[in-house]
Amino acid sequence: MELLNRYLHAVKFWLPKSQQEDIIAELGEDLRSQIEDREAALGRPLDEDGLAAVLKQRGNPMLVAGSYLPQRSLIGPALFPIYQFILKLVIVWILPPIFILVVGPATVLSGRDPSLALAETAWTLLMAAVFAFGVITLVFAAMERYPHESMLKWDPCRLPRVPPAEPITQPQPVPGYRAIAELLAAIGASLLWIEVMWLRTSFDFNGVAITLAPVWRSFFWPILLVTLSGVPIGLMGWLRPWWMRARSCVRLAVDGVTLVLTGALVNMGPWVRVAAPNLPAAGVADANHWANVGTSIGLGVVAIITLVDAVQEARRLVRQKPAGNHAPVAVRR
Amino acid sequence: MSHTASSPDPFDNLRLELRRGCLVLAVLAQLRAEHYGYALRKALADRGMAIDENTLYPLLRRLETQGLLVSEWREEDKRNKRFYRLSSHGQGVLDQLLEEWQSINASLTRITEGDALLELKAES
Repeated sequence: MELLNRYLHAVKFWLPKSQQEDIIAELGEDLRSQIEDREAALGRPLDEDGLAAVLKQRGNPMLVAGSYLPQRSLIGPALFPIYQFILKLVIVWILPPIFILVVGPATVLSGRDPSLALAETAWTLLMAAVFAFGVITLVFAAMERYPHESMLKWDPCRLPRVPPAEPITQPQPVPGYRAIAELLAAIGASLLWIEVMWLRTSFDFNGVAITLAPVWRSFFWPILLVTLSGVPIGLMGWLRPWWMRARSCVRLAVDGVTLVLTGALVNMGPWVRVAAPNLPAAGVADANHWANVGTSIGLGVVAIITLVDAVQEARRLVRQKPAGNHAPVAVRR
Repeated sequence: MSHTASSPDPFDNLRLELRRGCLVLAVLAQLRAEHYGYALRKALADRGMAIDENTLYPLLRRLETQGLLVSEWREEDKRNKRFYRLSSHGQGVLDQLLEEWQSINASLTRITEGDALLELKAES
């Protein structure tokens, strides 16, 4: 019976002191009765394995003790779906966009080491999410415990009006002029990139020479590929405007590559060097500083625009039906 | 709509919910005569109302706290056992619950038999 005593002791540990003796006495009695019944059925005393089987069937000591305790929940079933909705809204749809579009770029552009700034932003986002989780949980737990009278006394006449139904629209095919503009812009950007990065990397403005750092040369081909990708995308939009899924997929892929390239470039400053023999050294240093700050801001703007475009393309992709590539789309009302 | 292999069978959950209220009724009714825990569980199981020990004992305590049962420790067969029986208040509540049960049962019978009649009419 040593095993039984050990079991009862383990259950006792989890029980409130005021009820320990009473519950353990009754539980022990019930188990002894069960063991006696088994022994009578077998015609012999239970061995340790048989006893262990009886105790195992009764359940984990912690759970058995838990079944005697008042059954309470922090947030009950009535409020839980609303709690889940608010949690998802804040942690998935509010915090990450704020950190990606505002806090992250601001931290990167504050002049600190970019990789450290990104790590710091990610850590702060995590902490903000944990804090939001804690606060929302506490607020809902308080609402569960002390329901506000506005939740009990409400007037159906004061419910907000139903907004007018919005027409369900499918994404429209790309207009021809936009596809052609995209095509021309891609060709222009590619030619400009070749002119700036391949044919000349230094520019003279009335005695002030601005030279691009060698880092740009190492990114020549990837960036040229990104700018040239606008050519097939533009052609696709012009000649096959209903291939919207394929177009969105390609644009998403290009946006992804652009973001990776921008992220890599951000870490590789300084990007330009200013030389002006006629200016004092302090002035040249200032010019160098501000030229590089301007470039880093430019890279940040490129990253934000690319991110916004990627989000838009992803939304289009989700809203399009898989068959959308094969048939022109009509507006449904 | 289908459910995955990992999700519990909806019948099991619904059956559990349906039985939960019935168990209280069965325990109260059985305790019109005095029983100790183990004997009560066996008596209920013999009458087709098997109940898990970890459900029965906390339920007995809750019903006692609500004043529906009374209990006392007494020696039987050289062992201390806790005997439960229905209190006078519990008897009144049991009568009300049984009346409610009959009413629910009658309503359900009307509903299910009504459906069966409609099906028969549709077939003919």
